[in-house]
Amino acid sequence: MPGADKETDLTERIEAFLADLKRGGSGTGPLRGSGEMARETTYLLRRITAQARWSSAGDLMEIIRNEGRRMTAAQPSETTVGNMVRRVLKIIREEYARSRGSSEETEQQESLHKLLTAGELSEETFREHFVHLKANVIEAINELLTELDGTTDNIAMQALEHIHSNEVIMTVGRSRTVEAFLKDAARKRKFHVIVAECAPFCQGHEMATGLSKVGIETTVIADAAIFAVMSRVNKVIIGTQTVLANGGLRAVNGTHSVALAARHHSTPLIICAPMFKLSPQVFTTCSLSLNDVNSCFPVLKILSKVNVHCPVFDYVPPELITLFISNIGGNAPSYIYRLMSELYHPEDHKL
Amino acid sequence: MSSRGGKQKKGNVTSEQEEEEQPLQAVLVADSFNRRFFPISKDQPRALLPLGNVAMIDYTLEFLTSTGVQETFVFCCWMSNKIKDHLLKSKWCRPTSPNVVHIITSDLYRSLGDVLRDVDAKNLVRNDFILVYGDVVSNIDVSQALQEHRHRRKVDKNISVMTMVFKESSPGHKSRCEEDDVIVAMDSKSKRFSMGTDEFEIRHDLLDCHISICSPQVAELFTDNFDYQTRNDFVRGILVNEEILGNQIHLYVTQDGYGARVSNLQMYDSVSSDMVRRWVYPLTPEANFTDQQGQGCTHSRHNVYRGAEVSLGHGSQMEENVLIGRDTSIGANCHISNSVIGNNCTIGDNVVLDRAHMWNNVHISSNVEIHQSVVCDGAVVKEAVRLNKQCVLAYNVVIGPNLSLPEGTVVSMHHPEEEEEDDDDEFLSDDQEVGHSKDKTRQKAFNPAEVGPEGKGYIWKASMNDTEDEELAQCLWGLVLNPDPESDSESEASEESQDRTFQLEVLGTLQRGLEENIVCDNLVLEINSLKYAYNITLKEVMQILTRVVLEYPFQQQGTQLTTLQYTGSLLPLLKTWSPVFKNYIKRAQDHLDCLSAVEELFLEQDTHQTAMVKVLMKMYQLEILEEEAILKWFSTGATNDKSRQLRKNQGLQKFIQWLKEAEDESSEEGE
Repeated sequence: MPGADKETDLTERIEAFLADLKRGGSGTGPLRGSGEMARETTYLLRRITAQARWSSAGDLMEIIRNEGRRMTAAQPSETTVGNMVRRVLKIIREEYARSRGSSEETEQQESLHKLLTAGELSEETFREHFVHLKANVIEAINELLTELDGTTDNIAMQALEHIHSNEVIMTVGRSRTVEAFLKDAARKRKFHVIVAECAPFCQGHEMATGLSKVGIETTVIADAAIFAVMSRVNKVIIGTQTVLANGGLRAVNGTHSVALAARHHSTPLIICAPMFKLSPQVFTTCSLSLNDVNSCFPVLKILSKVNVHCPVFDYVPPELITLFISNIGGNAPSYIYRLMSELYHPEDHKL
Repeated sequence: MSSRGGKQKKGNVTSEQEEEEQPLQAVLVADSFNRRFFPISKDQPRALLPLGNVAMIDYTLEFLTSTGVQETFVFCCWMSNKIKDHLLKSKWCRPTSPNVVHIITSDLYRSLGDVLRDVDAKNLVRNDFILVYGDVVSNIDVSQALQEHRHRRKVDKNISVMTMVFKESSPGHKSRCEEDDVIVAMDSKSKRFSMGTDEFEIRHDLLDCHISICSPQVAELFTDNFDYQTRNDFVRGILVNEEILGNQIHLYVTQDGYGARVSNLQMYDSVSSDMVRRWVYPLTPEANFTDQQGQGCTHSRHNVYRGAEVSLGHGSQMEENVLIGRDTSIGANCHISNSVIGNNCTIGDNVVLDRAHMWNNVHISSNVEIHQSVVCDGAVVKEAVRLNKQCVLAYNVVIGPNLSLPEGTVVSMHHPEEEEEDDDDEFLSDDQEVGHSKDKTRQKAFNPAEVGPEGKGYIWKASMNDTEDEELAQCLWGLVLNPDPESDSESEASEESQDRTFQLEVLGTLQRGLEENIVCDNLVLEINSLKYAYNITLKEVMQILTRVVLEYPFQQQGTQLTTLQYTGSLLPLLKTWSPVFKNYIKRAQDHLDCLSAVEELFLEQDTHQTAMVKVLMKMYQLEILEEEAILKWFSTGATNDKSRQLRKNQGLQKFIQWLKEAEDESSEEGE
């Protein structure tokens, strides 16, 4: 009886989460940042691990994969959900391997050397039952949660290395990570920030008010003035929604034009993004399927013969980016693929 | 004492809290009580017709759920089993749904009024509720309107009965239904329907979303007035009785947000295209808000949505605003734009689809052209067919090769005549077997000229019943103007007959007056009441009265009267009835009207023109007519030859001369 209750409770929570995801993306629900989203997902995954019925790692992975598929289908633009699912799957694999006793390194990495020297293909079935697997997995997920909690602080701690006195920094729209980054630097340095307002939702205004409260000199400019002002800017620091597998970005609308303007003036473009935003997806040029197109009403009232497109995200190619600052330090865009292989198992790229 | 006061206060607070915590309820009427979508809705109820491959009732339920409704009552009448099945399988009947759906079916509902009377009888709603139809597509957030409504009711002690949600939309916009076009007079400050206040605006730029926030009194009012059938009856009743009952209706006008009701196929076309162009965000095709397996699709540039497993042939183009359901295969060199295609369809090569709406399992062969048409489930369109605008192919119809259907053709597997006979039975029982057996017995041959050599189906005429006589007939696609030259003469004839009856009545009155010696005041009273009964204007009353009086001797004694006899009998009558005349002839214009009536009569009665002088003389003496009026009439009133001829009459000229002299004398005396 209690088991059945737990299960129904679990399904209810999953359904509620899915409904929230759907509604959250549509703007009718509460707007959440990616960090919160990641945390909620991890809580839910931990609960699934704790409460669902599974006997071996394979079962658990199957369950989590199914739920993960449903969650990503509910809101494809919210990539942190899928990222967290993949992280948890990787955790399960690691714990399983550790329980088995073999070291993680040799099993996971595919390399040319391994291909040549491998005898027979050893199939991992994950069928063995280990008593402490559940506890280990839950502990590892808790570690993941602590990591998630600390990402913003870790990134902000690196601010002093990158921002110098009397610099002019440009940013676009509103990013909590960048806000924390700049606020941390403002404790010791004096600099000037230019914020592009990012129409039509104009989130840059909120960013500017937040920064000015801490005493940073802030200027808000319209999106059209970005190129004109770029010549006076020392650095461009922006946040992003997703970091793609090739080092490119899926960021808020308008970022691509900022990146191009920065490249034209040879201004360094720095991205502050925590590791949970790194996604194994790749941008495909033939379709905008990764792009969420929003409601047209902020732009125009309804008209019969006019089609209004109001995309939410932009793709920024990796050539335009100088540096990624994440909670594990600064990295070049060309190194992102390597970081990704550490975070996710190749078989989990497609859920 | 103070503690008791404190307790009372606490009591108030909790009751307020309780009021606010009451779950928001909604009444969804899943039946439209009209036949606008016949013959399509013969097989499938209107609420389940797919709009963008999702049943229309799903849009309404999603709109209600996202607004925060927690309890919905769905009322079904026509084909309620199908609606019930659909809802039980949908996500709203899952235990985790935030909106609890109760389905109430009855065969006895014939109108919105019946549904609301049932709501009142079963005491289903405790508080303000949202009233909506099953075919409303909207993304408006009604919580603001709800707050205003509740606030108004609290402040004004329940005077405001209903708040109607309108959307600002320019006149003539595609998503405004022509039949529902409304001009609204509203008080600008308080946003209620009114005309009598200081500042009111008249607006034509409002689109009726058919979403209303009603107070519980609405259901009671419908029970009290059992002749209220539609929402318009209700609104009219409230506005007319505003002074007596004191109820008011308010408006909520929204600028953003989209709301429309699919009331005919024209609206279906525009709402569907608005949905594909994402005006109804977040209810977009790729969002898959109904949570059905396999329903998701990907969204690409130019609003092209593709479902899973769609195959596109070589050289085919999906230009813009296209939605393709899953498992559909499209042939080579097709050109598709502004269309919605359902699941499991097969489309051949060289097909041109423009503003076509195709539902599931449709099979289209090569070289077909479809423009602005609806093709329902299971239909087959063979080679080289051209469907012109506004065609409808109902379920399972086959249209043969090499055919071009003219605009506005409706083809259905149900024979049009079968509808009238089986009407009552089908309405009451949606027992499918009954329908099938009747189909078999009445299988008439298909006309190859209408549906092609291999075709199957019957052409359904738009106006089957008594709408043929009306000028604005309703067809599936909206209103159609029927130029009907006979209608004008009919209306004239009816007016004339009314005048005729009135005349006879007046005659009867006067006769009785003579026989029974009725006082003239009572005669006036009677004539006035006849005036209201027959809706005659004052001027006409007076003219007809004059005529009747002047013809009275003819009526009594036959038409073969000499002039002498005529005047002999008429003049005393004039004297008797002079008060009646004086009652109606007061202003200068009345005098002229009376004179023209006299003239008309005597123009007809040529032989008695000499009598006219005597009549006029008598009327002047009795002070029924004034000399100025007579002189004016004489000098200016000649409109045609006959009347000019009349004025040349000797007697009349002498009379006019005498009148002038008399006037001069009287004016001299006056000085």
